[in-house]
Amino acid sequence: MHPLLRAIDLQKTYRKDANRVEVLRGLSLDVHEGEFVSVIGASGSGKSTLLHLLGTLDRPDSGEIHLEGKRIDNLPSEGRDKLRNHTFGFIFQFYHLLPEMTALENVLTPAMIANSAWSWWGRRKELRRQGMAMLERMGLGQRWNHRPRELSGGEMQRTAIARALISRPRVLLADEPTGNLDASNGGHIIEVLRNLNRDDGLTIVMVTHNLDIVQESDRVVRMVEGRIEPAAALVNA
Amino acid sequence: MYKLLLCWRYLRTRYLALACIISVMLGVATLIVVNSVMSGFSTKLKDRLHGLLSDIVIEASTMEGFADPGEKMARIRALPFLSERIEAMTPVMEVFAIMQFSWPNGERVTRTVHLVGVDPKSRNLVGGFKEHLVQARSKPGEFSFELSPEARKRYEYREAIMDLQQRAITPVDPEQPPPPARTPKRIKVPCGVVLGNLIASYREKAGTDENGTVKYVEKYPLGTDRSEVIITTIGGERLMPVYDNFVVVDYFKSDMSEYDSQYVFVPLEHLQQLRTMQNRVTSIQIKLRDYATAPAVVKELRKMFGKDGVRVETWEHKQGPLLAAISIEKGILNILLFLIIGVAGFGILAIFTMIVAEKTRDIGILKALGASNGGVMKIFLGYGFLLGIIGAWMGTALGLSLTFNINAIEHLLSNITGGEIFNREVYYFDKIPTNIEIWMLVLVNIGAIGIAVVFSVLPAMRAAMLHPVRALRYE
Ligand SMILES: Nc1ncnc2c1ncn2[C@@H]1O[C@H](COP(=O)(O)OP(=O)(O)OP(=O)(O)O)[C@@H](O)[C@H]1O
Ligand SMILES: [Mg+2]
Repeated sequence: MHPLLRAIDLQKTYRKDANRVEVLRGLSLDVHEGEFVSVIGASGSGKSTLLHLLGTLDRPDSGEIHLEGKRIDNLPSEGRDKLRNHTFGFIFQFYHLLPEMTALENVLTPAMIANSAWSWWGRRKELRRQGMAMLERMGLGQRWNHRPRELSGGEMQRTAIARALISRPRVLLADEPTGNLDASNGGHIIEVLRNLNRDDGLTIVMVTHNLDIVQESDRVVRMVEGRIEPAAALVNA
Repeated sequence: MYKLLLCWRYLRTRYLALACIISVMLGVATLIVVNSVMSGFSTKLKDRLHGLLSDIVIEASTMEGFADPGEKMARIRALPFLSERIEAMTPVMEVFAIMQFSWPNGERVTRTVHLVGVDPKSRNLVGGFKEHLVQARSKPGEFSFELSPEARKRYEYREAIMDLQQRAITPVDPEQPPPPARTPKRIKVPCGVVLGNLIASYREKAGTDENGTVKYVEKYPLGTDRSEVIITTIGGERLMPVYDNFVVVDYFKSDMSEYDSQYVFVPLEHLQQLRTMQNRVTSIQIKLRDYATAPAVVKELRKMFGKDGVRVETWEHKQGPLLAAISIEKGILNILLFLIIGVAGFGILAIFTMIVAEKTRDIGILKALGASNGGVMKIFLGYGFLLGIIGAWMGTALGLSLTFNINAIEHLLSNITGGEIFNREVYYFDKIPTNIEIWMLVLVNIGAIGIAVVFSVLPAMRAAMLHPVRALRYE
């Protein structure tokens, strides 16, 4: 049986004039269905880069990425757009909500992207109900009509999680979701992720450099010199 | 779907966009007002010109004109094709002349004029004459150059008195045989003349009406049926000077200053006699039943008179240079004014580029959520389109309301600035003429919206090409 998400020998180098920043140097990683994986590593070790490659936001210089055994890194852009819309959910350190829209509209954005204006009109009631349900699940049912700037950091991040989940993704890719939050809010977010993983079987790849929150996850991998460090080394950490 | 929502939200939250809308709006409004006024002027002018000139003119190419216009008109009438289409014809003799007259205060005036001999009877059928006469236009019946009966009597008395004076001077000698009985002298009453309105009149302010419009009245110091003018022109085979006295009977007011300041009309027969050019004219003016048939009629007339050394032209052709000048002027003005919208376009370009830069992170987010490059591009194209539509729509509303109220606005501005902006003495219209053409409105709107879209293409492409990761890292 294939792992849900598999990265094989990924290489990624940023070039700027004569400077070469070799970020990934042959990284391989398997993520299994229903797993909650934490990726840790020093700042600048390439964790965000890895997440972007896994989520088809960027392409590796070499190496392959497979989703359920099918290669996805070389898909044409329409295929990749679809994957990001349906299969991957993203949450970011800085929440990345659209400031012009209300919390509910932000949550519904992936659905709006997936539907033409016409089909949106036909399904708007059903989709709005789903969005509301998702917000309520994040404890934000009362705040659906608020703009992002009227929400606290923790509330914004929960809105972002609701948005990532609205299209029922296979994998949630979280880039330092607690990086900008205090301990209690961060703990709350981790708890939400933990519950999603346990109750819904959602596969999560979370990047962080906060070692306090990684024990909630099933597996922790550390990035060193553009590769995943062998598991043995982790025990000592 | 998100495209529409985002367009709408960006519109409502970016006040910069208001600047784009206003610049498009002002451009569109200016175009509409200027075009409506230009078109108003040119249709009015065309109307007036056409009202003055007959549909078709057969014109001699030399000053001596051509002989026997009656025969020519008979030939035209004999051809069924032409007689079916022609409503009326009239012979005309035109020649330059010098006119002298005295103002009531004794000041003498000598000036050159354009002397026209018209046949009142047939000219009335062709039109373009009686309806422009200040006095005769309101009177029924045909116009004639006849003096009024009272005026005639005055001249007869004058002749009689002069006759009596003559007798009184020569004493009667009873020795001598009585002088032979005087042959009864034919009483010479001068012929009537119609002067162009601007030759012998002036305008006087006569207060203002309830709207504040300055009213003018025309004053005619020479009056009618009492002032004499002397007209000198050339005549005979050797083109010797000839002159005669005429009595002013009416004034010609076509509101075309070129005509009103130059033209002087006398009866055709009288002019022919004065110039000893009996039965010669310089042109035949033709009125058609339907102006649409003009090209065919001109063609037929050219065939008929091709060898007689005459020109056959429609009035439009005769006024071609003027009409062409107007339309060229309008074209150039339109190009210049579209540059205003072009400026608005560059405003859109600049502002959109700023908005794209400001929205870089949001564009990255949209792409992370699965938006395609095309979709992102459409947000900004749609945004430009929306700005264009709103700007054009508001501009149309503004332009139309300005056009409809242009006279009131002119009053207001005149009152504020204290000077008359639209000088009625210069332009000869008592109101600013306007003419709103639907196709012009449509074209201006399409043009403005088109420019708004075209200028948003570049920023939209920039947005579409943004790399999602770079956009997400953007702070
Ligand atoms: N566009 C780019 N051009 C050049 N170098 C880049 C570019 N993007 C990222 N890098 C470099 O790549 C390296 C990895 O960046 P990345 O953001 O993946 O690190 P990270 O592990 O997520 O760090 P952090 O924990 O601070 O978020 C960094 O050294 C960064 O400077
Ligand atoms: Mg990072």
